[in-house]
Amino acid sequence: MKTTTKQKIAFSILFLCTIIVVLPVVCIFWIIIKNGYKGITWQFITAMPTEGMRQGGVYPAIVGTLYLVCLSIVFSLPMGVMAAVYLNEYAKDNLLTRLIRLAIVNLAGVSSVVYGLFGLALFVTFMKFGVSILSGALTLAIMNLPVIITASREALASVPYSFREVSLSLGLSRWQTIRHSVLPFAIPGILTGAILSLARAAGETAPILFTVAAFYLPHLPKSIFDQAMVLPYHLYIISTQIPNISRETRYATAFVLVGIVFTMNIFAVIIRSRLRKKKKW
Amino acid sequence: MSKILAKNLNLWYGTFHALQNINLGFGERRITAIIGPSGCGKSTLLRVFNRMNDVVEGVKVGGEVLIDNENIFDGDFNDLVKLRKKVGMVFQRPNPFPLSIYENIVFGLKVHHLVKKKEFNAIVQESLESVMLWNDLKNKLHKNALGLSLEQKQRLCIARTIAVKPDIVLMDEPCSALDPQATLKIEELMQRLKKDYTIVIVTHNMQQAARVSEDTGFMLLGELIEFGRTADIFTAPKDKRTEEYITGRYG
Ligand SMILES: Nc1ncnc2c1ncn2[C@@H]1O[C@H](COP(=O)(O)OP(=O)(O)OP(=O)(O)O)[C@@H](O)[C@H]1O
Ligand SMILES: [Mg+2]
Repeated sequence: MKTTTKQKIAFSILFLCTIIVVLPVVCIFWIIIKNGYKGITWQFITAMPTEGMRQGGVYPAIVGTLYLVCLSIVFSLPMGVMAAVYLNEYAKDNLLTRLIRLAIVNLAGVSSVVYGLFGLALFVTFMKFGVSILSGALTLAIMNLPVIITASREALASVPYSFREVSLSLGLSRWQTIRHSVLPFAIPGILTGAILSLARAAGETAPILFTVAAFYLPHLPKSIFDQAMVLPYHLYIISTQIPNISRETRYATAFVLVGIVFTMNIFAVIIRSRLRKKKKW
Repeated sequence: MSKILAKNLNLWYGTFHALQNINLGFGERRITAIIGPSGCGKSTLLRVFNRMNDVVEGVKVGGEVLIDNENIFDGDFNDLVKLRKKVGMVFQRPNPFPLSIYENIVFGLKVHHLVKKKEFNAIVQESLESVMLWNDLKNKLHKNALGLSLEQKQRLCIARTIAVKPDIVLMDEPCSALDPQATLKIEELMQRLKKDYTIVIVTHNMQQAARVSEDTGFMLLGELIEFGRTADIFTAPKDKRTEEYITGRYG
């Protein structure tokens, strides 16, 4: 066989693999949009569910999801960034540090249902927060920590060493150097990582199942100690637990969930591309 | 009297003896050049004077370094901030922050709260004037510094250093990233700065040492082989190794 023929075949196979990767994403979007777009009305997004969730909207589930996601980032972002600063800027390369790194890697690999059970045991039962937004947000925060720490460390490590050097030579202390010469230049990268991890968290069912999710609530949560309806769990319920629900409603709900996740990802991509343009050091 | 005086200075990176029993004195408001082959410890020596080696793990320093008669390696000496304000540093690669020209210059002032905000403009102008950039840049102070030419960047870095009002400026191969023309311009600038600052420059370029400096030290494998007037070192070196180096028989 000629080399060029071989090359063509190889490229074709590579191209095919790439297409196969993209295909499921396109299919999912297409199916959801095709079946769900008719159900997306202003009322669907802003109204309470009625008739045993067969009619009305998904407003409380949207609100619950947003509450949960926002509160979880309040916990996980500062903690994750501080841990990353410690690991990247201060920690010496010793046994303890290596154990911490190993723990973080392993934490990232734990399945989400385990986080759910952990949250149930620690926050709901032991710390007596009950099934509440607080418990759910803390559970999601812990699940997100390894991702945020890893993304933040990468962002910190991409800030050139010379910035730290100049900063020290100008008489800044190590902490001032981190505060003024490293963190500001790492923030876009950190935010990108945080948003991506949140987007994933927003779609997870297992961690919120035992910690926050309500089957049906006729009102919005009043405080972080309330239960809340949450989109992924709501979708699960209307798809499996409630008979005679219209196909359109189910797909429209999926549409909203995917829409939220997708919007967050788009945000992350925009921040990242902005960063790429600015980052010429 | 010397602005900087090193007595029996030794430095180890772990077990590696990088500076061996160095004795020297740098005169005030003079330019002193440190020359020597790659890896002989020039940068290490320079970083002793603002204690930048402190961040390297496993560094050990012995002996005394007196700056204005104060031993910066004394057990009681711990004001690194004060030391580094007094002893500024310019690096090999021009390394402005990805901020505006203005922000770069006031960077140190801002963090140290050295002066009131309303004095910033005056200091920016003064610093840029002393590195001869004011006329070129006065209308684009708020443009990003990364858009400048290499030479301008290096000048800006010098301005950033002197904005903190140091006495001493350490320069580690400040021209090695620049073309010959830019190099000459920076040398010109150093001559101007000499009026106000004590300058120590590390350089690979012997012509540069001969052109800009009044005193020169020649280092080899962590030892200071010879130190004296630049004219003497280059015309009548006392040590054979110095002679071999300046006549080009070493790397
Ligand atoms: N952080 C470090 N840890 C261990 N050894 C080091 C460290 N930094 C420098 N050295 C060693 O110390 C010696 C002197 O290094 P230094 O950077 O001072 O040399 P230099 O004269 O500036 O060389 P160059 O001209 O290449 O810049 C070298 O042998 C180098 O390998
Ligand atoms: Mg060097």
